[in-house]
Amino acid sequence: MSVQLLDRELDRLESLWEDGLSEAYRSYLDAVGAQAPATRPRLALAAALVEVAIRLQGLGGRAASPPTLLMGDLCLARSSRILAGAATQAVQIAFALAIEEMSAAAASGVAAPATRDLLLRALEAT
Amino acid sequence: MVGQRLRFDTKHATEFVDITDLLRQEVRRAGMRMGRLHLQSLHTTLGLAVNENEPLLLRDFGNMLERFAPVGAGYEHDDFARRINVALDEPVNGHAHVRQLLLAGFATLLVEEGDLVLGRWQSVFAVELDGPRHRELALQLDGDFSPLPRASAGGSGRGRSAALSSDLVELELSRQLLVDPEPVSTPMRRLVEAGGKRLRPKLVQLTAAIGPRNEPLRTAALATAVELLHNATLIHDDYVDESTHRRGRPTVAAAEGPERAIAVGDYYFAKATRLIAEIGNPEVTSTIAEALEAICASQIDDVALRGAFPGDHESYLRVVRGKTAALFAAACASGAQLSDASPEIVEALRRYGDLLGVAFQMADDMVDFSPSSGKPVALDIRQRVLSLPLIYAAEDRTVGPEIRRLLAGSLGDAEVGRVADLVTSSDALQRVRAEAQALVDAAVHELETIELDGLRPTLISLAHSAVDRIS
Repeated sequence: MSVQLLDRELDRLESLWEDGLSEAYRSYLDAVGAQAPATRPRLALAAALVEVAIRLQGLGGRAASPPTLLMGDLCLARSSRILAGAATQAVQIAFALAIEEMSAAAASGVAAPATRDLLLRALEAT
Repeated sequence: MVGQRLRFDTKHATEFVDITDLLRQEVRRAGMRMGRLHLQSLHTTLGLAVNENEPLLLRDFGNMLERFAPVGAGYEHDDFARRINVALDEPVNGHAHVRQLLLAGFATLLVEEGDLVLGRWQSVFAVELDGPRHRELALQLDGDFSPLPRASAGGSGRGRSAALSSDLVELELSRQLLVDPEPVSTPMRRLVEAGGKRLRPKLVQLTAAIGPRNEPLRTAALATAVELLHNATLIHDDYVDESTHRRGRPTVAAAEGPERAIAVGDYYFAKATRLIAEIGNPEVTSTIAEALEAICASQIDDVALRGAFPGDHESYLRVVRGKTAALFAAACASGAQLSDASPEIVEALRRYGDLLGVAFQMADDMVDFSPSSGKPVALDIRQRVLSLPLIYAAEDRTVGPEIRRLLAGSLGDAEVGRVADLVTSSDALQRVRAEAQALVDAAVHELETIELDGLRPTLISLAHSAVDRIS
């Protein structure tokens, strides 16, 4: 992903880049090698944004403060918009199902599978 | 939930049919102890009303309807030469349709201790406007039932039949909530069933009828997803705003804690995006995703602006266009996209939805100052939420200085009450009303340049209804 493109996709979320987003992005980038080259960075960023959102919001743990929750919401929304333009229908659905699984587990007070495992699986959906 | 039909024949052109006893009978027959009775007219010339059954008063009502919409006053609906697909037995009844606009087409009545909760002088009427005719009302009972009377009613078959013919979006909403895990579905069901205007799904359904492709089931799926998305944002909003009640019920955050509220909001955010992805229309998916991003960004701005409360007109518009209008615009555009409408129509409807959404929010701001709205007065002031009447009043030379001084301090009941009085005494509410009306006019203007296959009057009426609640 070009620097300009990445900048645009990180608008208002720049502070998160050094707070775990870049690390998550690189991990997912390694995992999307089977995808079309043009979409790899976007898919990796979408997955990283979901992972950071879940952490920021405190899903399954202690509730985030309102401003942090809203930042998490924006990460989820940004991810959703990126997926709408870059992912196949199957991957979009798989991402949504992964978030549903994590939030349902949080609401039920049971442990959810690791976020990264779920999202890596979602990226492979066909 | 029990659903059924009430059928009856009317005898006169205009007639107030007292159905109170019929409804009481249905409540008893179903064995309902506590809950709500939902009633909906299945006709466009049959209204509903709750009022006193006093013969002279009923004549007053009839006379009023005649004054507002006289028979044969040159209604365009009655000009059969200009209409298409006119049935052979089509009646001349423009007046009856117009009169129906003055009445409700649906009602919710409370049931307690096995009986309707009605005041001493209150009766429930089905109002015939184009009789005599055979009429039907859809009725649903939702609440707690005592098992024995219901078992003896023998009405379960009718209930199933009524459910089948209920509104597709409501059915789809119920169906979706039914398959979700209980810890997330229960709070969402409480919120959804508590009411809400369902404006956004309505916009989806209307605009999805505009293009050449008409698929009611996919439309219902999209409308349902949009409504779920809206409610998911409300659940997070209520936590952020520390709201204790919404639609007369405790918020999810207040009732079950912020952790649950965050999880429920996330679940339905994800579910809604999945339902939209499953529709398989990339344009629709992008439209809704962009709106969702705008909503979330505006929420952040909204909270940030509370430091500069009450804010200014420019900031207000920026936040409202994202927070409220974005989903209105997306509902309109996505419905049209689903129906394969042309890009010109999609964009015109997007602009219509945007203008309507801002007007709607302004009207909502004004309701905050209306003691008759049924909502707590001045909640926006108490919660330091952006409000255009407050912004205008704070700019007012006479009341502005005192408002700004009060807002700079802590806001107890006395201060909130005083600020509300000052706003009401200024011309702020009139200015907001005029601005909202101008936006509605602009929204209607957007519809003038496009072919809407007969839907223009409905969209115009819906736009006006956004501000009519403050007239």
